Amino acid sequence: MNAPLAVVGAQVPRKDAADKVSGQAEYAVDVALPGMLHAKVLRSSHAHALIKRLDVSKARQAPGVRAVLTHADIPAHFIPVYGYFIKDQPIVAVDRVRYVGDIVCAIAADSEAEAAAALSLIEVDYEDLTTSTTIESALAEDADNLFPAIPFGVMPTYGQGASGKMWPQKNVCYEFDYRTGDASAFARCDHVFEDEFRFSRMHHYHLEPFAAVANARADRIEVWASNQNPFPLRKELARIFKVSESSVTVHVGMVGAGFGSKNNCKAEPVAVMLSMLTRRPVRFCLTMEESALTNTQHAAILRLKTGVMKDGTLIARQSEILLDAGAYTDASPLVAEKAGYRIPGPYRWQYVDTRCLCVMTNTAPAGPFRGFGGTQATWASESQLDMIARRLGIDPYDIRVKNLLKLGEPFQPGDSGIDSDLKEGLDLVCQHIGYREPRKPLRGKGISIGCKDGGGVKKAAQARVRILTNGDAILNFASVEMGQGIRTAMTQVVAEILRLPHGRVTAPSINTDHVPFDEGTNASSGIAVMGRAVEGAARSARLRVLEFATEQLKCDIGELDLDNGFIVQGTGPNAQRHPLGPMVMGFYGGPGFEFTADGFYMPPVDHRAPLESPCVFWEIGWGAAEVEVDPGTGLVKVLKLVASGDTGRSINPLVCKGQEDGAAVQGYGQALFERMIYNERGELLNIDPLIYRVPLAEDLPAEFVTITQQQGHGPGPFGSKGAGEGTILPVASAIANAIEDAVGVRITELPITPERVLEALERKAAAGRYQDKVRDRSRSVTSVSPRGETGQ
Amino acid sequence: MSDISIQFTLNGVGRQVVVPANMLLVDFLRDNEQLKGAKIGCSRGVCGSCTVLIDGTPVAACSTFAFQADGRSVFTVEGLARGGALDPVQQAFIDNAAFQCGYCTSGMILMTKALLAENKAPDRATIVEWLSSNVCRCTGYAQIIAAVEDAARRLREAER
Repeated sequence: MNAPLAVVGAQVPRKDAADKVSGQAEYAVDVALPGMLHAKVLRSSHAHALIKRLDVSKARQAPGVRAVLTHADIPAHFIPVYGYFIKDQPIVAVDRVRYVGDIVCAIAADSEAEAAAALSLIEVDYEDLTTSTTIESALAEDADNLFPAIPFGVMPTYGQGASGKMWPQKNVCYEFDYRTGDASAFARCDHVFEDEFRFSRMHHYHLEPFAAVANARADRIEVWASNQNPFPLRKELARIFKVSESSVTVHVGMVGAGFGSKNNCKAEPVAVMLSMLTRRPVRFCLTMEESALTNTQHAAILRLKTGVMKDGTLIARQSEILLDAGAYTDASPLVAEKAGYRIPGPYRWQYVDTRCLCVMTNTAPAGPFRGFGGTQATWASESQLDMIARRLGIDPYDIRVKNLLKLGEPFQPGDSGIDSDLKEGLDLVCQHIGYREPRKPLRGKGISIGCKDGGGVKKAAQARVRILTNGDAILNFASVEMGQGIRTAMTQVVAEILRLPHGRVTAPSINTDHVPFDEGTNASSGIAVMGRAVEGAARSARLRVLEFATEQLKCDIGELDLDNGFIVQGTGPNAQRHPLGPMVMGFYGGPGFEFTADGFYMPPVDHRAPLESPCVFWEIGWGAAEVEVDPGTGLVKVLKLVASGDTGRSINPLVCKGQEDGAAVQGYGQALFERMIYNERGELLNIDPLIYRVPLAEDLPAEFVTITQQQGHGPGPFGSKGAGEGTILPVASAIANAIEDAVGVRITELPITPERVLEALERKAAAGRYQDKVRDRSRSVTSVSPRGETGQ
Repeated sequence: MSDISIQFTLNGVGRQVVVPANMLLVDFLRDNEQLKGAKIGCSRGVCGSCTVLIDGTPVAACSTFAFQADGRSVFTVEGLARGGALDPVQQAFIDNAAFQCGYCTSGMILMTKALLAENKAPDRATIVEWLSSNVCRCTGYAQIIAAVEDAARRLREAER
């Protein structure tokens, strides 16, 4: 296959294009079954309380109501709790509620309006417990325990240097630790700096809410879900409802975006349970407000202690990261692992000691969010790196280049080598931002590099390629199309290998009874993990066709090739082209045949790797920003934002660029204005879509540039790497770094609101006045140590 | 709740129907007419996923009663592709990969139709102003803006 690539890298239209521009694409919210009922849930108005009385008798009699689901209505042999690792979230409340929005009970009725009306007839008496809406209050000695009885769970396993603990202390569901090198390294440092950073939480704001339609029949549970992980969902539903996994079917069509949130169980258990009670199909579709109460990003406090030499060489880093996990654990242990492991960034260290805790609070459950702990880690790490550079009088570019891992150098001992040239990418964004140009007054430029291990850990993927009678192909695989273009990219890979026009390869939607197993669509694993399974399946299926043709043509397989549905025999001008269709029907008969082959990929298990498997690929996001700060109002105007990722090779260039654009803009909203605001009673104050603000077209920076690098070192088909998360990572820190460059103040808490900038400017002015006085009054004060420095 | 008899055109076809007075236009389109291109996102008239055109003006169907269509012309994304040929705006969205998850796409396309009906050569600032009534959480808008510019160019060329 030395021919130049025809379909990979070509700007073919997306597979879902025609459907999506004409309103025909089918999402879970569009599914309607005959006789379908509609569900609504009663959500707690108390953040932390015992349920003393729950009376649903009036609701049961209300017009249109077919079933009311309370904890007492669930058969005793079910296990009605779910969660990614720790099974702690009940389908409906058992004896207590843990956050405002927690599901107390559910109703199925003929219409959504009747279900909603009946909710108002439900009477609940609560006895309030102490409410902890922040990390600090949940860790306080007098805080009430959210889980007096420890829920059961499964621990992830680790390799060299990494470990985890479940429930190490009250209101902490998980602790991840990673250590490498010699702790005495700190003693050798010229400077040690300690700084604290705060990260606010965003709502994923996927436009399609959480939604599910369930049809529980006597012998089968069938679910249409808006879910990123169909097979784990199947397993979880089988476990909860005590049926065999083979009698659960999950259908996933188009998903109206997820950004990580649509994992594990969300709307599905309520829909299934109500369908069991009514023996009717039940649709449970949340509102956008309810979606915000169902899953969010992790707010975080990050404390970094970093030891360096005076020339800027990084030596040692100790970190403590506290993640706000909300009221249920969801995927928090995994987010803790990632935040903890990613905190060193793509730099060389002699010692790393990281500790990350998931703290349970009486707020909405936090879960996976694009960047997955890496966003929090990059915000702190790349901010502190700039602060250290400025304290040492070193250029922020130089300190990075001095310490960056080289291409092929392991991220940590035992892990895989970095598969991007980090300096090349940094130089690129520096060039686009004009990093070396002189600064104008009140303007500054900042840079940042985000790095995350991509592809998941020990993630198994399978795919099936079917070559039909005349050479057309069907790809069966379970990567969910949620906007990232995975069904387009994968069919391009198949088309390339089978030398078919892209239009002759299709990928039907997902039904877990008919597509091969996959762990889920997450961790940017599509092209680098599933892509290898798809590639393998396509190559094997092609081989089966050639083997068949060899027998028919009585020739050596080396003489044959497959091209656009023809068997090509020989090369050059004397090559003969035999159409596949007649050859197949000549042997198998009129109905024809399918040549089918499966592909499988799973990264190797290796205990020397800290996460027990060397990272599949490294997802890098380079960022650079130019800002102008108004010292009168604190308003930060981003004049230019440059973001860049490395796809290794772009299977579909515009789709890749769209991913980088979208991730960068999500990071931009996070940097400047997005956050979920809670009051002390645990009420989410800006939950209404009229108030919660996401970036609009008019919010874009005056100049917004994304650059897709194709450095060619990826492990996926044709040198590709995963994409879609990299460029969210560096944006906030690049902007904060640019602000310090512009006006000399450091913002350590997101979002970077005008109030915070103004406050920082005022603090700086006051400190300046104080320092002037100190200098004037006393010569005996020799120096004021740089802010944040603690030793040596 | 009393019912109301209304007469209007839906994608160019005359319709006479009886709807409950409190029925939302988006529910009427999705549930009664099986036109599911209009999507419910925020239910507050903010996100624009449910955008349809009434007498050519973009409205949020989640914040409009069905009876308000009486005597008017309602146009949805399903009315765009006639006889299988895509509208130039749809084609421009495809060629510029101006969508990802696709949930906002019907609304974005109809907003673009309305803009280009009013202004054949909108400048970038005008495009940004119009598109800012709709939310896209996936694309970061750059490729949508490019698609609108491309669609305007195609429509102008088609007229020549």
